[in-house]
Amino acid sequence: MSEKLLSIRGLQKHYGAFHVLRGIDLELGAGEVICVVGPSGSGKSSLIRSINQLEPYQAGEIHLYGKLIDPARDVDRLRQEIGMVFQSFNLFPHLTVMENLTLAPMQVRGLSQAEAEARATDLLKRVNILEQKDKYPSKLSGGQQQRVAIARALAMDPKIMLFDEPTSALDPEMISEVLNVMKDLARSGMTMIVVTHEMGFAREVADRVVFMDGGRIVEQATPDEFFRDPKHPRSKLFLSQILQR
Amino acid sequence: MKFLPKSRLFQGIAFLAASFLGFALLSFVVGKLLVFMPEPIGSRSSLFVEGAKITLLITLYSAVFGLIVGVLLGLARGSPRPWLRLPALIYIWLIRGTPVLVQILFVFYALPELVPQLQLDEFWAAAIALGLNVGAYNAEVIRAGIQAVPPGQSEAARSLGLSNVKTLRWIVLPQAIRIVVPPLVNNVVALLKDSSLASTIGLLELSLAGQRISSETFLPVPVLTTVALLYLTYTTAITLVTWMLERAMRLKAHV
Repeated sequence: MSEKLLSIRGLQKHYGAFHVLRGIDLELGAGEVICVVGPSGSGKSSLIRSINQLEPYQAGEIHLYGKLIDPARDVDRLRQEIGMVFQSFNLFPHLTVMENLTLAPMQVRGLSQAEAEARATDLLKRVNILEQKDKYPSKLSGGQQQRVAIARALAMDPKIMLFDEPTSALDPEMISEVLNVMKDLARSGMTMIVVTHEMGFAREVADRVVFMDGGRIVEQATPDEFFRDPKHPRSKLFLSQILQR
Repeated sequence: MKFLPKSRLFQGIAFLAASFLGFALLSFVVGKLLVFMPEPIGSRSSLFVEGAKITLLITLYSAVFGLIVGVLLGLARGSPRPWLRLPALIYIWLIRGTPVLVQILFVFYALPELVPQLQLDEFWAAAIALGLNVGAYNAEVIRAGIQAVPPGQSEAARSLGLSNVKTLRWIVLPQAIRIVVPPLVNNVVALLKDSSLASTIGLLELSLAGQRISSETFLPVPVLTTVALLYLTYTTAITLVTWMLERAMRLKAHV
């Protein structure tokens, strides 16, 4: 069996008395795109936030390239390998679009300003927003901000990209511009975990759909199987509810 | 200074230099104007000017000292580590719970008894006491400013691999500064006025100069009015400078 890029074993997380993750096992191969779907409160966001250690977990292991991650020691290194895109963009409001992209490569990777800006220019072209590079985030629309946020994460040249409901805070007419950027990224071979409510996106782009409910992975399947013929009653119910809309 | 855009750093320094120059100019003009005032002010203008100079200097020194104390304490106060948070908490509790006048008297009279090396003259005793005092108030302002930066900002920075210190330096503090400048300047205005308490240890600043002239001439009304107007001039100038600074910072990133 080929070496997995990321493997998660027996991940458990509690928020006080609330048991958010009840033993998650998940493997991710290089170039694979996983869409995590499920009702709110099912632990989807907690799962991907645990992967790059934005939230502590109480039990379980995360391996990157077969190496066990020590939450106390490897955090900064791990995060350099994993890009994250948030629901609320979280662009740095006091920095221009260009500075949002160059800060981490210069401060963390030690790139020169010229190198960082050259790289940022390529990425901004890729997300089709280069003409806004000298503006501050508050001048951009939500869709534009989220595309900048994707470019900012890519500027660190990550091995894996995590998306935490990237289109949930967007006006409907801006969703597709962000999804298109994500589709391009998936086609280019990026390894991605996407928490999303966009079933169309999951169906079109995902290699595998992971359905979570109550802190567990209830079902994993190819999008074709999952959407056409879900096995678990919870998946069936979820799909019937969401597809009625 | 690898990342900070040179132009912005330059603008900051230029603004600071211009403010200092403005204050020096203001003091110069005020000094010249006082000479032309009727008796008993005009003939004693040099004493007013000397007092005002001491008041401004002591405000400057204690403000800078208080800012350093405030930043360090504010960071410690908001730290998750109890061995940093607890001492900061106790310090702030002590300083804010006792009168600044007692603190000035303590540094000047009591400290040398406890630690003979700390025999300070009136100026430095007052500057240090005032700096320690305003530092405690600044700490609360700075902690609140840091907490006002949305947690998503730190998360985004940390998710890019920035260390805690770099996140603070490049993401949290630059945003907190915009929030804390107005209340910090309020503290400086309060400091300028509180510096009059240094007269109790015999420092010849503006209010003590006023008291002396007043009792010498038996003309408290014009003398103390002049003193009050001088304080008002300086506090107004500080407020104006901040107003400009706030505007400049807001125009850059927001609106």
